Amino acid sequence: MANKLGFYFNATACTGCKACQVACKDKSDLPVGVNWRRVAEYTGGEWVTNPDGTVEQNVFAYYTSIACNHCTNPICVEVCPTQAMHQREDGIVMVDESICIGCRYCEWACPYGAPQFNEEVGVMTKCNFCYDYLDEGQSPACVAACPSRALFFGDIDELRAEHGELAEIAPLPPADITEPNLVIEPHHNAKPIGSPSGKLINPEEV
Amino acid sequence: MQANEWSLIIFTTVMQMAVGSFVILGGVHFFATRRYDAQAADTLSDRALLAIGPIVILAMLVTFLHLGNPLNAPRAISNLGSSWLSREVTLAAIFTIGGAVFAFMQWRKISTATIRNTIGLVVAAIGLLLVWSMAQVYLLPTVPAWNSPATVVTFFITTLLLGSLAVGSAFVLTYQYLRGRNNLPSSDTQFDILSTTLRWIVLISLVLLGVQFVVIPLYLANLAEQGSEAAMASISLILDQGGALFALRLILLFVGAGIFSIFMYRSLSSESRTRMTGYLAYSAFAFVLISEILGRFLFYESMIRIGM
Ligand code: SF4
Repeated sequence: MANKLGFYFNATACTGCKACQVACKDKSDLPVGVNWRRVAEYTGGEWVTNPDGTVEQNVFAYYTSIACNHCTNPICVEVCPTQAMHQREDGIVMVDESICIGCRYCEWACPYGAPQFNEEVGVMTKCNFCYDYLDEGQSPACVAACPSRALFFGDIDELRAEHGELAEIAPLPPADITEPNLVIEPHHNAKPIGSPSGKLINPEEV
Repeated sequence: MQANEWSLIIFTTVMQMAVGSFVILGGVHFFATRRYDAQAADTLSDRALLAIGPIVILAMLVTFLHLGNPLNAPRAISNLGSSWLSREVTLAAIFTIGGAVFAFMQWRKISTATIRNTIGLVVAAIGLLLVWSMAQVYLLPTVPAWNSPATVVTFFITTLLLGSLAVGSAFVLTYQYLRGRNNLPSSDTQFDILSTTLRWIVLISLVLLGVQFVVIPLYLANLAEQGSEAAMASISLILDQGGALFALRLILLFVGAGIFSIFMYRSLSSESRTRMTGYLAYSAFAFVLISEILGRFLFYESMIRIGM
């Protein structure tokens, strides 16, 4: 079995500049409304009263850069009626745009918002891990563009050995649904999934 | 709300109504044949059967509007191994073709009654499997508002409720039409079939109405208990933004399947009141149809996926 590819995202290094998102959009020439990689801004906080009676705020914010996680258990592949959505030996989940009927069912199913509909051509599109760049020995556009060195890719087993197994923090979904090939270094303010203490504040961007 | 959701609302509701009509019609025909004879049983039901055809074809065509790339549509049956959507499309196609073959044979009285009945039974079973698969399509672990046993139960309620009331309306309409043209063979028998059928339809409607009014609060309570952001957003879409439509749906359902049905039952005491029976049957059907479409609209509206 070939080694599976995955992403490593270091939330302690990410400044939320969105260079990854823009590099991705540029490389694949994505139309308005289609963003294969997106950066979620998650914030919260309130006033807290200390034991000595003083009042302080505990506002926090952190970023999560997410594209397709090329999951071990890709729900989009499972539900697609045409087999347009498929997974390669190396784990890359791809959509064959010449087969897709544009039913958008995969879009309903994926909790990471990875499959995105291109209105102009009427079919689904998604992150393909820049497989063409990989073939040339280059990094995916998003990884290459990150000025903070917050985003990496590689053999998921190696990434996990080096950085741990964490793949779920708010506002991401539980990892057991699709088993994403993603490793996250959490921000020191990271909240657990489903936490009521913060919220996604740029929903229109993700 | 995207325009393409309208095609899903129409497809699922109409297809379920067609399956329900087919199943109810089969039941009526079975009992009528045992009590009278095949010919008497065919008089009212054959015409009703033929009415299902155009409705199903319309529903199938509407789904194409939902596709971004309809030219590839035939490929939708190529992932039967894991995709419920693929299974749904396949069963819908088999039901449509099987139903058409059966209706044609029944209309022209091709082959023996036993063979026709067997085919009818198989098509009805496929129809019920189709409704089951339609519900499975929406049981996505990523959509709390859909991932509920209520989805399955509600789809079957829609199927049998709309099916019953559609058959009821079709029967009165056919009866009045044939009687108007003095074309009714042995009208006593036919009135007997009509009134017995409608009485059963009223009973079925009342039971389904009761079940629906139990399922809806249970469903909402269960969703609220989950408490996730997506679940709460879905509840708000149904009860706040969709509140007026939700109330209207419940009222129409109650009046149509409940009040009109009961009056219809009472109007069956004499054949001279069939005109009244007709009005009540059509109104009950119309009210419930609108209610079901509103319900389905809210079902799609309440779709909120977890994650990002
Ligand atoms: S939109 Fe295309 S890729 Fe997605 S489920 Fe439908 S056919 Fe498959």
